[in-house]
Amino acid sequence: MSTSTVEVGTQLPAYDVPSVSAEKMKTMAALLSDPTPIHWDVATLQALGMGDRPVNQGPLNMGYVMNAVTAWAGGPESLRRLRVRFLGTVLAGQHLRVRGTVSGLREEDGARLADCDVVLEVVDGDAVVSGTATVVLA
Amino acid sequence: MAFAEADLQTVVGRRFPGGEYTVSPWRAWLLADTVLAEPPSLLDDGERTAHPLFAWMAATGAMGTTWDELFAWFGATAADGPVFGEHETTLHRPLRIGATYRVSGGIESAERKVGRRTGVFDVVGYAMDLHDGGTHVARCWNSIVFPRRDA
Repeated sequence: MSTSTVEVGTQLPAYDVPSVSAEKMKTMAALLSDPTPIHWDVATLQALGMGDRPVNQGPLNMGYVMNAVTAWAGGPESLRRLRVRFLGTVLAGQHLRVRGTVSGLREEDGARLADCDVVLEVVDGDAVVSGTATVVLA
Repeated sequence: MAFAEADLQTVVGRRFPGGEYTVSPWRAWLLADTVLAEPPSLLDDGERTAHPLFAWMAATGAMGTTWDELFAWFGATAADGPVFGEHETTLHRPLRIGATYRVSGGIESAERKVGRRTGVFDVVGYAMDLHDGGTHVARCWNSIVFPRRDA
């Protein structure tokens, strides 16, 4: 998508995660050396009264937001800043969507920057991550 | 024994041991695949940008303490239910696949609060910086929330 016509209020293309994968959580736990079993062990979840759907790692939820804004801006090198607040949990199998809106445009050291309000939400559910991102426009 | 509000300030300023983190090509591939981004080809030896989530991966992977040790600084354990509050990644330049970053940082703030529904809790802010040689590449700031049911 061209970013040459971007203006305040421009909506970023929606970025969907059709079904959060429990298998990806296992790989992420290994990459993070994260021993927390609620991300991969159903027996632990059941023992804690948390059902049988593993809880997605917060960094993965944050990563989906990064994907959404960098796909729009032109690639992973475009991200300058991301600030997010974690509002809730994401469970395996849920359908997620990242939405974003340009809230400001400015120049800094010769680069054209876009500030964006971003939110990750469960489709037909609540927002689970919200915040702001700054990207360099191509 | 409960972790007192006065104890909080004694931890502010404490530094992490720190360390180094290498964005190995295999890590770059697996992380991208896991976060549903396009994995970088392992057959390309050219300079490539790593997924920006590696700022957080490197910062927490090389801060030099385990999560259990960090919780213990605040008289808590994982069983107390500490949760991530907020996060901020600032990238002064893109992270590179194959690069090794030096990680340093520490505890920046700590504050006790009382919520009407949540009761007493502590919000702790900590930050890590990533350097490539003498170049400051990125900064990760985080807050973590410790419930204080016994306060």
